[in-house]
Amino acid sequence: MQKITKSSTAEYFAKNLQQVGFSSSTKAVLTTLKESVDNSLDACEEAGIAPHIKVKIKKEGMGSSKNVDLISVVVEDNGPGLDEKNIAKVFGEYLASSKFGRGRCSRGQQGIGISAATTWAQLTQARGVHVSSKLKNSPKAFCVVVNMDIKNNKGVLKNKTSFHWEAKKQGLKVEFLVDGRVQLKGEGGLITYLEGTALVNPHLELEYELLDQPFRKIERVSNKVPKIPPSSLPHPHTMKLGDFLQHASFYASLSLKKFLKTAFSRITDKSISLMKEKGLTEGLLKKTVRSIGEKDYKHIFSLLYEIDFPKPSSQSVLAVGEEALAESINRLGDIDFFSVITRKPKVCDYKSVIVEVALARLNIKKKEEEGIQLLRFANRVPLQFDKASCAITKSVESVNWRAYGLSQSKKSLPLGPYVFAVSVTSPFIKFKNASKETIDASEELVEEIRLALMQAGQKLKKHIRKEKNTADLIRKKEYIEKFAPILIQKLKDITGASQKEIEGAQRGLYAILSKDTVKAEKALGDARQEVEKLKAKMGSRLTYKTDNEAV
Amino acid sequence: MKPFKEESLKKKTLKNRPKRDLLKDSQKLGKEMLKDLNQKKSPVLKAIKCSLDNSLYDSKKGYLVPKGKKVSSELNVSSVQKISRSLFLLDILLGNLKSGAVNTKRELYYISKGFMKSKTFYKPLDFEDQSDSDAIIDFICDMFEVYREEMNCFANDRGGQTYSKNLIVTEYLQKGEKAVIDLSSLGTTPFQPKNKPQQFELKAKKGRIDYCIVIESEGTANTLVSNGMTKRHNCIIVGAQGVPSNAVRGWCRTIQDQLNIPIFFYGDLDAYTLQNIYRTLKAGSASSLIRNSDFSAPNVHFLGVLPKDVEKYDLHCYEVSEKDVSESRSLKKAKDVLKNDPFFQSKKNKKLTQILKWLIKEKRRCEQQSVFSINPKNSKVLEEFLVEKIETNSYV
Ligand SMILES: Nc1ncnc2c1ncn2[C@@H]1O[C@H](COP(=O)(O)OP(=O)(O)O)[C@@H](O)[C@H]1O
Ligand SMILES: [Mg+2]
Repeated sequence: MQKITKSSTAEYFAKNLQQVGFSSSTKAVLTTLKESVDNSLDACEEAGIAPHIKVKIKKEGMGSSKNVDLISVVVEDNGPGLDEKNIAKVFGEYLASSKFGRGRCSRGQQGIGISAATTWAQLTQARGVHVSSKLKNSPKAFCVVVNMDIKNNKGVLKNKTSFHWEAKKQGLKVEFLVDGRVQLKGEGGLITYLEGTALVNPHLELEYELLDQPFRKIERVSNKVPKIPPSSLPHPHTMKLGDFLQHASFYASLSLKKFLKTAFSRITDKSISLMKEKGLTEGLLKKTVRSIGEKDYKHIFSLLYEIDFPKPSSQSVLAVGEEALAESINRLGDIDFFSVITRKPKVCDYKSVIVEVALARLNIKKKEEEGIQLLRFANRVPLQFDKASCAITKSVESVNWRAYGLSQSKKSLPLGPYVFAVSVTSPFIKFKNASKETIDASEELVEEIRLALMQAGQKLKKHIRKEKNTADLIRKKEYIEKFAPILIQKLKDITGASQKEIEGAQRGLYAILSKDTVKAEKALGDARQEVEKLKAKMGSRLTYKTDNEAV
Repeated sequence: MKPFKEESLKKKTLKNRPKRDLLKDSQKLGKEMLKDLNQKKSPVLKAIKCSLDNSLYDSKKGYLVPKGKKVSSELNVSSVQKISRSLFLLDILLGNLKSGAVNTKRELYYISKGFMKSKTFYKPLDFEDQSDSDAIIDFICDMFEVYREEMNCFANDRGGQTYSKNLIVTEYLQKGEKAVIDLSSLGTTPFQPKNKPQQFELKAKKGRIDYCIVIESEGTANTLVSNGMTKRHNCIIVGAQGVPSNAVRGWCRTIQDQLNIPIFFYGDLDAYTLQNIYRTLKAGSASSLIRNSDFSAPNVHFLGVLPKDVEKYDLHCYEVSEKDVSESRSLKKAKDVLKNDPFFQSKKNKKLTQILKWLIKEKRRCEQQSVFSINPKNSKVLEEFLVEKIETNSYV
């Protein structure tokens, strides 16, 4: 990366915008929104602020070419804001990011997205992005237009004015005017993106106004700003040989022993003595990294894989958490019931990942044969394209959902009024392409997601079974009411028995029949009580959280 | 014709069946149920399980008998509908027995519907279609081990069209009346037994009748008669019209018992005819275990078409391809029959088993009418073929 000159970088991306999410006019709007919101969320989290984001998207007129509209995309946050110098860099330069290779679960990683949005605005409307910023403790805000000097990969600021930003403590507001088209719902829809983002960010308060749709506000359900875990040193088992050699080159002047102990997590004196038992010599350990030959590297590398190191620290992986997910999923609509699972961190493909799953049944009349809605997330960013080849989709299809009471035809997504949300978080997610739309479907990752889905499926099954039992109970009660009188009447007709005998039989019959329903009722009652208990418990935890962790 | 040796059978018709007082039996059942209920005990209704896995081929008696498995319905929430329905239909049937009225199953279905329509109280019992009410009627019969006919319930029985120039049938009607039918007075129009054929009295007009042939196809039976077979031969010809109905089975049994003459069956050479038609006629069926004793004719012989006829006359056959779904089903059926049907597993029926094996091996089937190809100019070809086979003992 370092070797690429800045100028060629900007020109390259300007020519290849389709690679980074601008392949169609509808996608252009979504990507512009997405990059802005992702940045706001990242910036807020970084600063420990509970994000409050306002989105407004409007049709301003006709676009510069046929069949496209002129769309304004405005995103405002309550984050730390940016100063002038950084604004030029962030919006006008490619590959300028504070997050490079830091091994963190942040949304942005490469410093491409928002600059691409500026490029798109400039290419289609001959104007870059309009940015307003207010830094903490500064009395005044300022706004400025950032244009991009594509030849030199440099941001150029214009029309800077300072102004008084009413009732705003701090934050950043970006306004793009771009060629595009608005799609609200469905796979690539803006609402799908915003709702999905809210789901995996329980601490997010989101307001949005899209075209002439009514204004909507999604309240936060958690006041806990996720602490983005400190970037972690790589676990020795997260590297391939090439990565290992490159990693070593950053520590060229250290001794091997020092390198192993400081450049990796989980390598201790004890693990080094274990490696010694397997043939690592003291001499080699004392050598500087720079002076070690390739053959020795290979040897050291293979030795690393003979040692059982503890699992990578889960601290470097950020999870939404089952409780928060449970709260958050209720913001998706009228939810009948749901189940959530947060898996323990797991090493897949040499990287630690956490998989989380939320399955919810919506209380809507949806045709049974309609497929479920699958929401995919990578580092808490919704993935909206290329569903078929994504690891998450592959995992969902590989599970036999019929075993959990859903309908499904073989090897495809299940059916019914359900939302399946699957979130994969990892400091190093491997995407299939630069626009980060699908997670690479490696066998290990697919299997890990599958396990999470199956656990969640088990929980779901309990709900579905309970529901079936309720229906059974109702049917049974109806049966008794309907048939018992007839049965008694017919016995009377056939035998001509005395009234006393008939009355006794009637009592007996009701006693026998209600035995079944009493049993079923008791089982249901127990289940209901458990749910109540759980709710009470969750409720008290939530109040506890607001009292102590309010921002 | 060689004198035919037939073991003599005791006369046994439905008339000899011990009379059942179903009114009393039903009352007894009802009283027991009431008693159980008064003691808060679930009454249990038991009926013979009518299925192939509960069938045993009694080679001495010659028909399928129940092994002893019962289906029992204990009264609970799940069975309350079935039991209510059973009592409801039983009450209707008892009403018929009291008044002497008879009904078909379909009529009973509509009678039930009528009650449910006129009295909302009975509405929950409603039968969705006739198969629902039929199943209940069968359950009642299996429970009391009584024939449907004894419940005054008759099916619209097919088949049994009978032709002879030497048979007289006497039917005893109610109030001492009787009807005497001389079949020789009929032309090509058949006499057709219905309802309770076991109640008829049969005798030969002159001397003794030589034999009776039951033809699978009623049309072919009529052809034989129209072409003069009953004029030339002292025999009875019966059209089965496919799977023999209760009437056909009871009628053949009556012919066997009362006239004491050999009976032959002639039909297609395939697994369906062998099991569903011939076996049902000879030994009854699994679904009618309780009445096979009166509704089967164990002395019936399988006259053909035999594999050796196919070979001798080079009869036209149809290939049974394993690729064709419906055709391969018939092959599969032959295999299933060998595996599951106690009748074909009996040593006594080894020769029939060999025919099934031949069918499986040859993957062919031959129709009863193929004999007409032997000599297209001879209208009596089938008659001559059958008579020759009887005379040369070419049957199973
Ligand atoms: N809304 C914002 N508020 C504060 N800082 C921001 C905001 N948006 C972007 N930044 C800063 O600008 C950097 C570059 O952003 P970007 O070009 O989108 O790259 P990436 O998100 O991949 O790091 C971020 O790393 C962040 O430090
Ligand atoms: Mg970004």
